[in-house]
Amino acid sequence: MVIQKEKKSCGQVVEEWKEFVWNPRTHQFMGRTGTSWAFILLFYLVFYGFLTAMFTLTMWAMLQTVSDHTPKYQDRLATPGLMIRPKTENLDVIVNISDTDSWDQHVQKLNKFLEPYNDSIQAQKNDVCRPGRYYEQPDNGVLNYPKRACQFNRTQLGNCSGIGDPTHYGYSTGQPCVFIKMNRVINFYAGANQSMNVSCVGKVLLFLTSSLLNLPAPPQRDEDAENLGHFVMFPANGNIDLMYFPYYGKKFHVNYTQPLVAVKFLNVTPNVEVNVECRINAANIATEDERDKFAGRVAFKLRINKT
Amino acid sequence: MMNKNLRKGGKKKDLEELKKEADMDDHKLTLDELSAKYSVDLTKGHSLKDAQEILFANGPNALSPPPTTPEWVKFCKQMFGGFSLLLWTGAFLCFLAYGIHVHYSEKTNKDNLYLGIVLAAVVLITGCFSYYQEAKSSKIMESFKNMVPQQALVIRGGEKMQINVKDVVLGDLVEVKGGDQVPADIRVIAAQGCKVDNSSLTGESEPQSRCPDCTHENLLETRNILFFSTNCVEGTARGIVIATGDSTVMGRIASLTSGLALGQTPIAAEIEHFIHLITAVAIFLGITFFSLSLILGYGWLDAVIFLIGIIVANVPEGLLATVTVCLTLTAKRMARKNCLVKNLEAVETLGSTSTICSDKTGTLTQNRMTVAHLWFDKTVYEADTSEEQTTGKTFPKSSDTWFHLARIAGLCNRADFRPHQESVPIAKRATSGDASESALLKFIEQSYSPVNEMRQKNPKVAEIPFNSTNKYQMSIHLLEDNSQAHVLLMKGAPERIMDFCTSFMLNGQEYPMDEEMKIDFQNAYLELGGLGERVLGFCFLNLPSNFSKGFQFNTDEINFPMKNLCFAGLISMIDPPRTAVPEAVGKCRSAGIKVIMVTGDHPITAKAIAKSVGIISEANETAEDMATRLNVPISQINTKSVKAIVVHGSELKDMNSEQLDHILKSYKEIVFARTSPQQKLIIVEGCQRLGAIVAVTGDGVNDSPALKKADIGIAMGITGSDVSKQAADMILLDDNFASIVTGVEEGRLIFDNLKKSIAYTLTSNIPEITPFLLFIVLSIPLPLGTITILCIDLGTDMVPAISLAYETPESDIMKRLPRNPKTDNLVNHRLIGMAYGQIGMIQALAGFFTYFVILAENGFKPWDLLGIRLYWDDASINDLEDSFGQQWTYEQRKVVEYTCQTAFFISIVIVQWSDLIICKTRRNSLFKQGMKNKVLLFGIFEETFLAAVLSYTPGMDVALRMYPLRINWWFCALPYSVLIFIYDEIRKLIIRRRPGGWLEKETYY
Repeated sequence: MVIQKEKKSCGQVVEEWKEFVWNPRTHQFMGRTGTSWAFILLFYLVFYGFLTAMFTLTMWAMLQTVSDHTPKYQDRLATPGLMIRPKTENLDVIVNISDTDSWDQHVQKLNKFLEPYNDSIQAQKNDVCRPGRYYEQPDNGVLNYPKRACQFNRTQLGNCSGIGDPTHYGYSTGQPCVFIKMNRVINFYAGANQSMNVSCVGKVLLFLTSSLLNLPAPPQRDEDAENLGHFVMFPANGNIDLMYFPYYGKKFHVNYTQPLVAVKFLNVTPNVEVNVECRINAANIATEDERDKFAGRVAFKLRINKT
Repeated sequence: MMNKNLRKGGKKKDLEELKKEADMDDHKLTLDELSAKYSVDLTKGHSLKDAQEILFANGPNALSPPPTTPEWVKFCKQMFGGFSLLLWTGAFLCFLAYGIHVHYSEKTNKDNLYLGIVLAAVVLITGCFSYYQEAKSSKIMESFKNMVPQQALVIRGGEKMQINVKDVVLGDLVEVKGGDQVPADIRVIAAQGCKVDNSSLTGESEPQSRCPDCTHENLLETRNILFFSTNCVEGTARGIVIATGDSTVMGRIASLTSGLALGQTPIAAEIEHFIHLITAVAIFLGITFFSLSLILGYGWLDAVIFLIGIIVANVPEGLLATVTVCLTLTAKRMARKNCLVKNLEAVETLGSTSTICSDKTGTLTQNRMTVAHLWFDKTVYEADTSEEQTTGKTFPKSSDTWFHLARIAGLCNRADFRPHQESVPIAKRATSGDASESALLKFIEQSYSPVNEMRQKNPKVAEIPFNSTNKYQMSIHLLEDNSQAHVLLMKGAPERIMDFCTSFMLNGQEYPMDEEMKIDFQNAYLELGGLGERVLGFCFLNLPSNFSKGFQFNTDEINFPMKNLCFAGLISMIDPPRTAVPEAVGKCRSAGIKVIMVTGDHPITAKAIAKSVGIISEANETAEDMATRLNVPISQINTKSVKAIVVHGSELKDMNSEQLDHILKSYKEIVFARTSPQQKLIIVEGCQRLGAIVAVTGDGVNDSPALKKADIGIAMGITGSDVSKQAADMILLDDNFASIVTGVEEGRLIFDNLKKSIAYTLTSNIPEITPFLLFIVLSIPLPLGTITILCIDLGTDMVPAISLAYETPESDIMKRLPRNPKTDNLVNHRLIGMAYGQIGMIQALAGFFTYFVILAENGFKPWDLLGIRLYWDDASINDLEDSFGQQWTYEQRKVVEYTCQTAFFISIVIVQWSDLIICKTRRNSLFKQGMKNKVLLFGIFEETFLAAVLSYTPGMDVALRMYPLRINWWFCALPYSVLIFIYDEIRKLIIRRRPGGWLEKETYY
């Protein structure tokens, strides 16, 4: 009550602001004179300069402890994730057979994606490895010795290789190919020395309110084999060979070629959205993580629109 | 606009009128005039019909209830006032952002929704808390209501009838008897031994007799008026109602009190200023980054959401609660020191007080007449007046004169101790009888012998009690040594006693009265009277043997000699100052607080007490004193050299506000004497006009307007009336002025400590905002999420921030001037600069360092993070490549992100350790201040423990998206924590070394 606040008129307020921004009497800009600004700016310049130096120093020191070869911790990547190509928004592969534009972009992406798998390139850069066993390349005393990669030839993908394929990976005929790949994890021995393969099923997702509440979806799913129809896999049976493991990292395993599994859906019920879930069957990869829907598995929607 | 002003002006005029003295002259009228004025028959009263008509015209005799604020308005004030408004705006913006999100994108992030809910919850909880506190202590009008009497005895048409008090009308003939409450303001026309207790109105505690004669110009002081809602103690009175309802004196005070507009407390003003600053910073940052994000190519929608996010992130969620708790803690601490604070914000107001208007009686003084001086054997002796009888002052008790004096004082005395008080110290025993006699009784009991024994040995055979015409009291006692003879003892006004005496006693010998003795007597009388003391003279006469035992003394027709008495001496009494008061006044002076005494007492007494407690210091004297000393007329005194003044109430009455301002401004030491309650209000307003923050003490109903008008009203816990207690912001449980000073000390301390607390809380705002800013500008994964921000603001920062309220002062806070509310703000740009620009920046770096460490160690090196945001936050990309060529699913990298956020959070906790330690002091080194604050130590452990619990408790990943950290990630922030401490110690060192230097001007908050 002591500080009686007088109501200021609008003009006064503007006037006060003007004076605050530039006070011609005291030569103050925003409440400070030139010298005052110079001092305070200098102070903060020195202060922040010092802080930057200190930050840089600590960052540098930290980066010295991080090796180029392997990350310090990999505990978050215990289960490699699965992913599909073509990569679409929200992972739904929708094909309007009559509408070329609807699948052309998928085809373009796939062409680009599969280019490094061309047999010629593979033969030129990579080794032919012995299937059924890990391709281990110990350093043998030479630090970070560059590693060789095994060949994965595009032709291994059979009808999905897209080589001389007038159907454009089957997209023009409503028999699309979807490629499945497993995420790279350094020094991960997938399969624990036993053979592994990818398998796919159709699922009916029961949309319950739980999905709105952000709860893990309940396991109430029914097989939807009927709508999914038949499919074939390349390499046969969806096998992934052990020879593509382990991965030694981008820097030393330069030409590493990720193994793929192609799934060609032959007679999906048209005009129905089918939920496909593919998972890897391997001894050391868990696929039942409730929260990570892509740990050791991948789910995507498939819809063939036929008029 | 014009209209509004006019209306305001009108209301103000009403108030001004109320503030003026009650301007009635009914007490001066003769009975005939009175009868004519109210056209009423003084024996039969109104006719029933007239009474009905008047009642119809004037309305019922009741106080009109003040325009009460409905409960919901009060509640809303708590909910939407000041700080809460800021939080509400934040909450609203959050909901808005969430709404935009929901409307325009499918995948919704609920963070904004949660933040909005939490913000709303914080305001609701703190609002309810404050509302509850407030509701407990705002019942001022209710006690007025309780004071309204229920039934009244009126005489209408010659018949006595009991009617409801609210039906009493102007001019009614009313009868009041002992035990009744007075039904209206009444002019007495007949009274038999009527005494009324006016204490609730005037503060005078002794019952006063009433009679039909006008004894004083002033309505409040004349004896022929009975006041509405005071109590009639004994006797009966008959009178004419001269005012009813709101026009009564009590009604005026009631409407004056409720009509006073309450302003902002200083702390509320400070908080408002703080909100302005925070809002300015928030909006500045928001707009800057809004434009920046548009330049960087974000969509409008994203930019708006960023803008809202940045503004909200600037809201210190926990501060409202912190401030409330800090104030509550101090209020509790004050209560322990006998200051009961009713209104939380008043805690700090007391600290910024620059003027204290104090009552005299009971606050500065003991409210207990005590013998202060004696004069016998032609010498003035000082008696011990301290509360605990510790000064050990003494006088020659061996003198025979003392024996005579003590005998008169003990025997010619009607006061008596109340029974069963043997264990109570004599000075504190309750007595029956008038104040002076009680003082004598206690004094004799203490320094002579038990009075009861004296009285038993010397039984009283006759007495003439004191009355105002005689001005003496006489009693005749049988002598104990020779049980046949009587002695006549007399005490009274010294000049009256002197008239009876023809001899005097000197060292036990009787001498005939001479001129020299008379002059000595006059000097002594003047000296003691000049000290503001009440002086009594004592004399005696040994009655001749013909009036020996068995003689029937007749006091009505005096049949014994009552002249040629022998003068024994003078005893003077005063209500002495409390022991602790002079020291407290001294403290106030060194603390730059002006102490003004406002009393209804006589100027001489007031001045004497003011001098003895130091309100008028030894070095200063009033113009009158100076004139007497220099022996020049008062007009020749240069008023500029005079720093002390005693203002009489009647002078004050004729002053306009400029004159009053002039007095308040130009005199350092001011005593207002003989003031009326309304004048107290005028004085308070005068002080406030000069920009002072005023504390006022008071106990009577009459004081309540001043109490309410003051920035902080202080009521007396023991003697105070309920109304005054309710109008006050604070109650002094021990009525002691010294307690106010301890309160001031606490108030100043909490202001300093709140500064520290706010500095501490604000600092962590920067490491909370910068992650979001860099998230926008550099497109890196979000380093700190909303939930973690809330965990800091409402979790880990709370206890440490509160613990700063327990910090001890850095220096003697009572040695500096009161803060200037205009320039010395709670939060200023220096504090913001320190918290945001310096310490906050170091903290942010600590957090980012930890963040980059964790990402790098998991595979994402710093430079690979730039621009990664769009892919990182895309849930459909489940093969995002890191710096090593590994691929991550959405969920996997989110776990790393949340781990980073947890680590960022823990880094903030770690840098807040050192922030807390540096906030302990603003100038001193920590090594001087020490780590004695146990609550603060507990706070550090508590926040660390809480952080660990949040990180390591299983299930936290689901509940709060917090993940367990590796131990080494705890240490990333440590170097920065140390840096903060070292930087600030150096800063403070320079500030101490170069007082007034650049660094102090720019960084000392």
